[in-house]
Amino acid sequence: MADPQDNRPSEEEDEEEIEEASYKTIKDAVLFAIDVSPTMLEQPPKSEDKKAERDSPASAALKCAYQLMQQRIISNPNDMMGILLFGTEKTDLKDGDSTFQHCYLLADLDVPSAQDVKRLRDLVNNEEEAEDILKPAKEGASIATVLFCANQIFTTKAPNFSSRRLFLVTDNDYPVKVKADKDTAVTRARDLYDLGCTIDLFPISQPDRSFDRSRFYDDLVYPTSPSDPDAPVAIPSTTKIAKSGEGISLLKQLISSINSKATPRRALFTLPLELGPDLRIGVKGYILIKRQEHVKSCYVWVGGEKPQIVNSSTTHMADDTARTVEKTELRKAYKFGGDAITFTPDEITKIRQCFGDPVIRIIGFKPLASVPIWANINKATFIYPSEADFIGSTRVFSALHQKLLKSKKMGLVWFISRRNAAPTLCALVPGEEKTNEDGDQSMPPGLWLIPLPFADDLRQFPPGPEDALKTCDTLTDKMRAIVEQLQLPKGVYDPAKYPNPDLQWFYRILQALALEEDMPVDPDDKTVPKFRQIDKRCGEYIQEYGDEFKEVYAEQHMSNLALRGAKPAVKKRAGAAEGEDKPAAKRVKKETKVKDENGDGEDQGMTDQQMADLNNSGKISKQTVAVLKAWLTERGQSGTGKKADLLERVQEYLEGKGL
Amino acid sequence: MSQKEATVFILDLGRSMGETRHGRDQTDLDWAMEYVWDKITTTVATGRKSALMSVVGCRTDDTDLGGVMEEGTEGYENISVFSGLKQYLLGDIRHLQEHSKPSKTDKGDLLSALAVAVHMIENATKGTKGNPLKYERRIIIVTDGRGQMDIDDLDQISSKIKDEDAPFEIVLLGVDFDDPDSGYKEENKESHKAKNEEVLKNFVEDCGGNFGTLATAIDQLHTPRLKETRPVHSYRGALTIGDPEKYQATITIDVERYPCTMIAKPPTASSFVVRSDLAGAPGPSAESSATVVAEDHPMTDLSAVRNQRVYQVDNQEEPGTKKNVEMDELERGYEYGRTAVHISESDMNVVKLETQQSLELVGFVKSEDFERYLPLSRANFIVPQKANQPAQLALSSFIHALYETECYAVARMVTKNLNPPVLLLLVPRIEPEWEALVDVELPFEQDMRRYKFPPLDRKLTVSGKTITEHKDLPMDDLMNAMGDYVDALDLSNFGRDEDGNEEEYAKPEDTFSPLVHRINHVIKWRATHPDSTLPIPDPAEILMKYSAPPTELMEQAEHHLSALKKAADVKKVPPKVKGRGKRQRTDRDKPLSGLDVDELLGNPKRVKIESNNLIPSFKQALAASDDMDTIQEATDGIAKEIRALISNSVGDSAYGRALEAIRIMREELTELEEPETYNTFVRKLKEEILGGKLNGNRRDMWWRIKGSRYGLVDQKRCFASAVTEEEAKRFYEV
Repeated sequence: MADPQDNRPSEEEDEEEIEEASYKTIKDAVLFAIDVSPTMLEQPPKSEDKKAERDSPASAALKCAYQLMQQRIISNPNDMMGILLFGTEKTDLKDGDSTFQHCYLLADLDVPSAQDVKRLRDLVNNEEEAEDILKPAKEGASIATVLFCANQIFTTKAPNFSSRRLFLVTDNDYPVKVKADKDTAVTRARDLYDLGCTIDLFPISQPDRSFDRSRFYDDLVYPTSPSDPDAPVAIPSTTKIAKSGEGISLLKQLISSINSKATPRRALFTLPLELGPDLRIGVKGYILIKRQEHVKSCYVWVGGEKPQIVNSSTTHMADDTARTVEKTELRKAYKFGGDAITFTPDEITKIRQCFGDPVIRIIGFKPLASVPIWANINKATFIYPSEADFIGSTRVFSALHQKLLKSKKMGLVWFISRRNAAPTLCALVPGEEKTNEDGDQSMPPGLWLIPLPFADDLRQFPPGPEDALKTCDTLTDKMRAIVEQLQLPKGVYDPAKYPNPDLQWFYRILQALALEEDMPVDPDDKTVPKFRQIDKRCGEYIQEYGDEFKEVYAEQHMSNLALRGAKPAVKKRAGAAEGEDKPAAKRVKKETKVKDENGDGEDQGMTDQQMADLNNSGKISKQTVAVLKAWLTERGQSGTGKKADLLERVQEYLEGKGL
Repeated sequence: MSQKEATVFILDLGRSMGETRHGRDQTDLDWAMEYVWDKITTTVATGRKSALMSVVGCRTDDTDLGGVMEEGTEGYENISVFSGLKQYLLGDIRHLQEHSKPSKTDKGDLLSALAVAVHMIENATKGTKGNPLKYERRIIIVTDGRGQMDIDDLDQISSKIKDEDAPFEIVLLGVDFDDPDSGYKEENKESHKAKNEEVLKNFVEDCGGNFGTLATAIDQLHTPRLKETRPVHSYRGALTIGDPEKYQATITIDVERYPCTMIAKPPTASSFVVRSDLAGAPGPSAESSATVVAEDHPMTDLSAVRNQRVYQVDNQEEPGTKKNVEMDELERGYEYGRTAVHISESDMNVVKLETQQSLELVGFVKSEDFERYLPLSRANFIVPQKANQPAQLALSSFIHALYETECYAVARMVTKNLNPPVLLLLVPRIEPEWEALVDVELPFEQDMRRYKFPPLDRKLTVSGKTITEHKDLPMDDLMNAMGDYVDALDLSNFGRDEDGNEEEYAKPEDTFSPLVHRINHVIKWRATHPDSTLPIPDPAEILMKYSAPPTELMEQAEHHLSALKKAADVKKVPPKVKGRGKRQRTDRDKPLSGLDVDELLGNPKRVKIESNNLIPSFKQALAASDDMDTIQEATDGIAKEIRALISNSVGDSAYGRALEAIRIMREELTELEEPETYNTFVRKLKEEILGGKLNGNRRDMWWRIKGSRYGLVDQKRCFASAVTEEEAKRFYEV
């Protein structure tokens, strides 16, 4: 049973594109509401301890909002975000209206602009400015007013967003004085729910009183989210009650719980999982792993006062008459034998849909070992049971999940994700629930659909020499020692430890450009291997490997083939006693390296030292542009520009090397 | 590039080929053509200019040697050269279709036709000096072996075919020829045919060619053919452990990286539009799906489509409007939130992380603890650089060390200077013939979406308690039934290899991409079946083979399945319940505490529609009562507000709100099975908008309603509707 909205009109497009697009069109609006009360503004006691709390709850919340805003610009560039302070002395909703007393709209609900980011950052960094705004009103704001205010903001600013969420940060678990006020708040919360908005509560416990949701907020918060209606609720208790003043800092806790809500959860598909003929259960598919790319470059109009983003629209024109053509008039045709083979839209439908309805159908089971890592063609999709179409789905899914985990098995499935989608064979692999040190879930329990290659997707192994040298046990043992020495922590790859350096750099630069700030210089790249550590932990073993290698190589080489002048695989410099970073040694190293690279008969480029000598003797400007260009590009520098630019770059480079 | 080819098909078109034999439902020729068409269309589909083909008919009514031999040469009667050696196009296929019909004669010598074919290829594949060029020369003969043959020149022909400088590959497929390999033997074979078979068999085998029976060849057509792609490396450089620039002890292995898996894509269709001069004419031209073919006027009824781009920016002077801007006022840039950041062309590199081509080891992980679902890319091979022996030895030791320690390596790769770094998982793969590392990309922090899901083996309550018995948790009987079923449906030994030995079922190399072969098949099918009234054939059986559990296995597991069904006790939710229908107020969603908010408010019987709380008050009004008057009243209330929103909108500023209200109204009334109430409203609204009755030109609002498909609710969407799908479609027309 596919949802009615699955039958979208754009059926003929490339299926891959739809998948990506449909995921993006789910627009999300987050209104970040922060309680500004005397307790929220209370500074933690000053302490020498580095780990001690530094932020007041309100300032931690603002920092969180700042980080979330930056992050959302990267991950959800079309989504909106706003920041509402409540309980402030000032009332300002940017529209001159003062209906909502003690509500202060710091950033209107919109796709964030550079100005919004800047303003927020200033507020976070500049305490004086903050003090002016972060002044609590004597009587505080009524929570009902805040909710109604959010209602109005969502209605006007993001009327047709499929996901609208109010992030509420507060330390007050009973923000009303009389029951009537609570009833009003409950009604307003229900209005929000009916409007299709979710309230996500981020409670903060003060040291002397812990936050009790059941006193007030459990009457306001709903268990289901309109953007993912019949999916199971995220466990409410996991939104951590941050305790200020102990353990991990409040800011860190808050960031972690907000991060888990950074993007609204939404199912990619709702499908039957067929365990056998006449035995179907309901599941939903989610994308939990997907390469995050940075925004594509766009056109900017520079004809006006301010650069403006250009929207482009495409119209189709018939080539023969230049007549504008409606999309419905377009006909698909395949090129064949210098001509076009066409099918009517009905025929196209028949051709693509002949494989049956969308389904995940188990055709049998195999040991987990039958999905080797090389049998990978794309990212995996997470699936989780849903009771919406089949009652009892969860328990059957759970039984399957447990059985597969226990027996280390996987299901082989025939998978059609949507009408018109290409059928694929997938491995249905169980994933265990994982938690981090704080007991927070880091990987959800469920099954993963891993697309498997067909014979058509397998490429031949590149032909190699028949008499290739092979390792021997002694050499392998030396390498084993290295493998054992250089294990990652716990012998596990943890994506959380490796932020994408390119993505981070891109947005740091873009932010600097957008805010007209100084350009950052040092990229923070956690993916660069820890060379010092490798040397320290492993230097000795590598030496031993190198020695063994020489011997084995000489032996095999002698008995095998004539010399081919290949360069040795293991590079060792003489004089192991030398210091690590001596420039002299480095220079020597550099030279051999460059020579090595050019050894195969290519143009002999100049070494760093040679270029430095030319520079010192003032002959550098005699070099031709071609030489400079080649020299620069060889070193990963830009080789574009006029000769003067090139010279400057060469000199800069040499300077950087201390030459 | 693939090797150049020259292929001549020799088709036996004698009268005897028109017979239908051995209980087949098609003539021998039609049967044979299945094979020939498949071969020809497969080559045409590649679009290769260097794949030359020609077809020579034998035992034809007429004689046409196409200038290959002098007309009237003795012994060459009843042979027709249908085309010279050339790249075949759709037109050639059509041309051949007209000629591939059984003749009225049995005269004509197959071996003469062979001589013609040899001659043709020889002429077409030699250089200017008469030297043979590098070509794959191939002759494919399809015959029923019932003709007359003059075998005097046979040795001469075979010596040509075996010529070492310009060898020919010869394939002969006979209709109902005896074939010891496949065990086929024709009963009651005529002695004349038996003799011919013998002669041809000896001849073909003498030439080192392929001799077989047609049935086998046609059988093999059902196995999809795989396209071979020449490996191209995506990285050629060093794999390093440690930093050789800074440290003493480091390891550098020179490697290359080649694709291991790559998703095969079906051919893509291009957009065309029916030519306007023809589109005006009613009738078949627009509806016909087949191509009108004529070499000189390709795509007669279709015209290519060009895309024209228009660039617009928000008009600052007149908010809510856009203005067109010229291309030469545009520069490259990026969006940072809603701020445009413009970067001049020469500075585009500033946003790039400075990187250098490299493949550097980061560390090792235990293969046992690696989560199989993490990799998010296709796979590549990493092999030593060609003819680099130290690299062979070093990489071999690395591969074996990983294998023996049961570890994988994590490495940072930059494929080219200035390319973004990616983290790869390097996995050893040791096969009998070769060994290599295989790499797949690993996710970064930003690639992980941290959604949370409740545990599956226990239940947590709102108050934080853990429950182990619940309707969502399996009891022992279900666990056992599931265990038995999963074990029964084991595929690890269900497959059979060529010799009938047990092996894993459905290995990747046994499975074929259904869509790729399906589309290729129907394109080729349509090329030879231009009649648009023919129904599209079903997908080949082999493409559907893995769409369901193997029948035999399922039969064995039948009783486990029934036990599982019983223990699972899954109930399908009837569609009626899914759409809420007439609702009870008590069914309304409740907050976490379970508080009944309506009761709190004293269960009001009427809720007024509030303009500043439009959608919630509308939903609440509908929930308050299900009598028609209340529904109508609520509908009128929201309808009034929607009109007000449109009328008072400055530019299109309030259209979004109006649209959302319309959506909610449509959805709610459909669920309440009151589609007419909505349809009446939307009909009137359309009239008012298009009639300019809502304070000026509001046509944009109509486009939005149309674009969102918020028109009439039809029968398909709600059974209670009187509106047909056709009518609902027409409603969108202005």
